[in-house]
This record gives sequence, C-alpha cells and structure tokens, in this order.
Amino acid sequence: MFSIARSELLQILRNRAVLISSLIMPLAASAFFVYQRDVFTLIGSVGYVGAVIVFTIAAFSLYATTVTTLAARRQNLFLKRMRSTAAGDAAILTGLVLPVSVISLVQVGVILAVFTRLSGAPTNVPLLVVAVAATFVMMLALAVATAGVTNSPEHAQVTTLPLSLGVIAVTSWVGITGTEQLGTLKRILPGGAATELIVHAWDGGVPLSDSLLLLAPTTAWVVVAIALASRMFRWEPRR
Amino acid sequence: MTTTPAIDIDRLNVTYGGFHAVKDLSFQVEQGELYALLGTNGAGKTSTLEVVEGHRTASSGTVRVLGKNPADRRAVRPRMGIMLQESGFSPDLTVAESARLIGRLSGRTDSVDRVLRVVDLTDKADTRVAQLSGGEKRRLDFATAVYGRPELIFLDEPTTGLDIQSRDALWNAVEQLRQDGSTIVLTTHYLEEAQQRADRIGLMHRGTFRHEGTVAELTRTLPAAIQFSLPAGAPAPLVQAGPAADGSYVIETFDLQTDLKQLLDWAHAHDVELSGLSAAPTRLDDVFRAIESDPVSA
Repeated sequence: MFSIARSELLQILRNRAVLISSLIMPLAASAFFVYQRDVFTLIGSVGYVGAVIVFTIAAFSLYATTVTTLAARRQNLFLKRMRSTAAGDAAILTGLVLPVSVISLVQVGVILAVFTRLSGAPTNVPLLVVAVAATFVMMLALAVATAGVTNSPEHAQVTTLPLSLGVIAVTSWVGITGTEQLGTLKRILPGGAATELIVHAWDGGVPLSDSLLLLAPTTAWVVVAIALASRMFRWEPRR
Repeated sequence: MTTTPAIDIDRLNVTYGGFHAVKDLSFQVEQGELYALLGTNGAGKTSTLEVVEGHRTASSGTVRVLGKNPADRRAVRPRMGIMLQESGFSPDLTVAESARLIGRLSGRTDSVDRVLRVVDLTDKADTRVAQLSGGEKRRLDFATAVYGRPELIFLDEPTTGLDIQSRDALWNAVEQLRQDGSTIVLTTHYLEEAQQRADRIGLMHRGTFRHEGTVAELTRTLPAAIQFSLPAGAPAPLVQAGPAADGSYVIETFDLQTDLKQLLDWAHAHDVELSGLSAAPTRLDDVFRAIESDPVSA
C-alpha cells in the first residue's frame, strides 16, 4: 500500500496541471477567504469562514483531484496493472488516495491555523476536528464514486462540477442564512449538517447535545457516500 | 504418477452482456510446459485468459491455477507473473520506479537491476515511461512480469513491436525460466513463434477449441508444400499443378521427402536450376486459414 502511495505522490508532483488545480488553486482561494475574513464574518460568522475554508479544500484539493487522478489511472490501464499483482483492491485504492488525502489535511490544518491566529481560536476544537474528519471522509468516498462514472481526466472537469459547486453552495447557504428556516432541508443536503457542525464548533453558544445531534446526518452522508463508492467504482475502462 | 497441472480448466463458460464468449472449454496446462493459446479474433481466448489470470469470474465451470482459485490473489499472484497485452504503466514514473513498484507488489523478491539487465533497459532506468518507444515499453512489461522468477508466467503478445534482437533476448530469457521449471502460457499473433516454441497449442474458434495438441499433431492434417520457380525456357516439370501467375510452382504433398527427391532428381536429370526452392511442413498460418474458411460443426 505504501509503495503505491509513494508512486502516487511522485506522479502528482510531476503533473503540473494537477499541482495547480489541487495544491495552488484551493490554497489561493482559501487565502482569499482569510484575507477577506472581515467581510465574510459580517455575512455569516467567524465559523462560517472556517466552514468555507474546509469545504473549499475538501471540494477541490480532495474531491476534484481524486476524481481526476483515479480517472487518469484507469484510462492508461495503470489500475489494471496494479490489479494484476498480488496487491488487494482495498490496499490499491487506499494507496492511491492516501497522498491527496494527506496533502488536503495538511492544507486545511495550515490555513485554519493561520486563520486562528488572525481571528481567534475555535470554541470547541475536538468537535471541529470531528466535523472536518467527517467532511473529508464523505468527500473522499464521493470522489471514488464519481470516479466510477468519469471516463478520463478531461471528463472529470465536467463530472466534478455538480458536487464541488453544490457543496460550496450548501455551505454558503447554511453559513449565511443559518438553520432556523428550512433547517431540515439544509441538514439533509450533503455538507449541510457538517457546515452547521463546524459553525457551532467554532462560534460556540450552542449546547453540545444539539451539536452532537448533527453528527447523525453527517455520519449518514458518510455511509451513503461509501455505499455509492463501492457500487459505482470501476477498475477498467468500458470496452 | 502425474503431478498437478499448473492450470486446470473444466467446462468453463464465460458470458457477458448477453454474449457467450467461451463455451464449455476444458483443458490443462502441465507444469513446466510452454502452452500457446491461439485463436482467431473474437475466439474467446482473451476472456479465457482473463478468467485464468483472475481478472474476470467465470459464469460457470471450474478453474484451478496452481491448485487454487485464481481470484484468490493473495494465494496465487505471488507465484504468477502476468505480461498484459497493453502495458499499464504510468507515463510520469521512470523505468526503474515502475519496475520497483510492480516488483514490490508482486510478492516476490528480486532486484530491479537484474530484471532491467535481462531486457537491456539499464541505461534507460531513469527515463520516464512516457519517453519510451513501444518496443521499450514492451520490454519493461516483460521485465516486471518475470520479476522474482515466478513459476507461472502469462505472456500476452509479448513480442509485438520488438525488433529481432529484442525478440531473441526475450526468448532467451524465457528459455532460462523454463530451465528453472517455470510454466509459460503464451498468446501471440506471430504464429511462427508458437510453432517454434510451444510444447502444445490450443486453437480457439468461436468460444471452443478447434484443435488442441502438439504442433506436429496440428499440422499433420494439412499437406506440406514445395515451392520453386523455373528460369525461362526450362522444360515443364512433371507436376499436377501448373505454374502460378508469377511463374512459381507449388506442390502440395503428404509425403514431402519422396516428392522432393523426385523433383530434385528431375531437375538434376534435365540440368535445371530450381530458384527459390523451399520445402517445409505446413505452417500454423495455413491451419488458421483452414479454420476460418471452414464452417464450425455444431
């Protein structure tokens, strides 16, 4: 698994297009949010800025990059080559997604640390960590599922749009307008409950029990995403 | 006392998308032999190979590779090397990195240096795969398939795109492995290779075997051929068939030695030079052509 992860890391670092879209673009976007944090805080709250940062990294560094690289590995038959060795499917897939996951986690950690320095620490750090972890696992699983219907890295530019933009839209909607109105709908949408959880964890002022309830739809989405991934992922190009 | 066959296939059926690709196929590959699985396009040999390699599940029938279910990767793959028809290399990794990765995943131990030396790619060790020629990629493919000297090796069209030196080098390496006791399953469109090197051949057509056996058994059913041309003004030879449009003669015979002696005696007696003389048993090509033109009996 680690040999695969190491090769995957080498391939990412040597691919300029992936580096830009996965490393530089989301970092730049997040830097922009931090830079404009006062405006965003006015629209939503400090926690809202945190949520936007988390979901920007999750949607682009993690989700879109994973879909693109998995589709590329399938298209050039690299996946098939891996499967013709003694390595199991789980080890192969884990090895392939490990580098991008670690890179995204490091990115989110660094940006949030910088943001904390500038705007103050979140109220409930453990809860924040749980929310971020759940978000990342959900987006990773959705990436594996989306890769199943993506024929090539070029095709990925199209197939990743609905979820990546959708999730950002949901985050903004929940972060800006809160959950008093249409709360149930907002929590059912992907990323909705996780956003609310991040906002609560950062801003505080909400009883812990309420926040913990939000773990239910968040976890449900993780489970759904994993189920979709196992049903939709393809190892070989369609003949 | 018989040893367990390396591959044991019993009434294999493979169906996908409503297409019945392999119909009730049964055969065995003995340990240590070089078995060539040949077939016309769409004959089902790729599907058969995929099941034996463990890439596809059979619709029905039993397949045992080295005594185990081929889908049990952990048990079988460390003893098995596969050279796929199309290299699945990442263009951004170097030759050495690719060999190291596949080698690590094979479950066997060896050195990257050694396998690269076998295919003469040592001086390209740090070149990215994207910059290799088709033949070089094929050689890298072979190197990764024989990493760790597996006891069972699948070679799917191994010499496509290779020049004569590379081909010879590849077959030398295969010969080495055979001396160490490895079993080889070969598919190729270069029928001369199969004819020269295979112990036994299985010839598939439309999902089943049309012929199976040694090369001699397969070619026995068709006549041998003697070919020659005569210079202008030479007397006509005593043969059944007249000259072809380009002036060459082809004699088909089931008794090559006798008829060849007759022809040579005649040429000597009349002081005629036979140019372009060739006398050889049937080639597999002709066996193939006979299959394709012959309707399959139910």
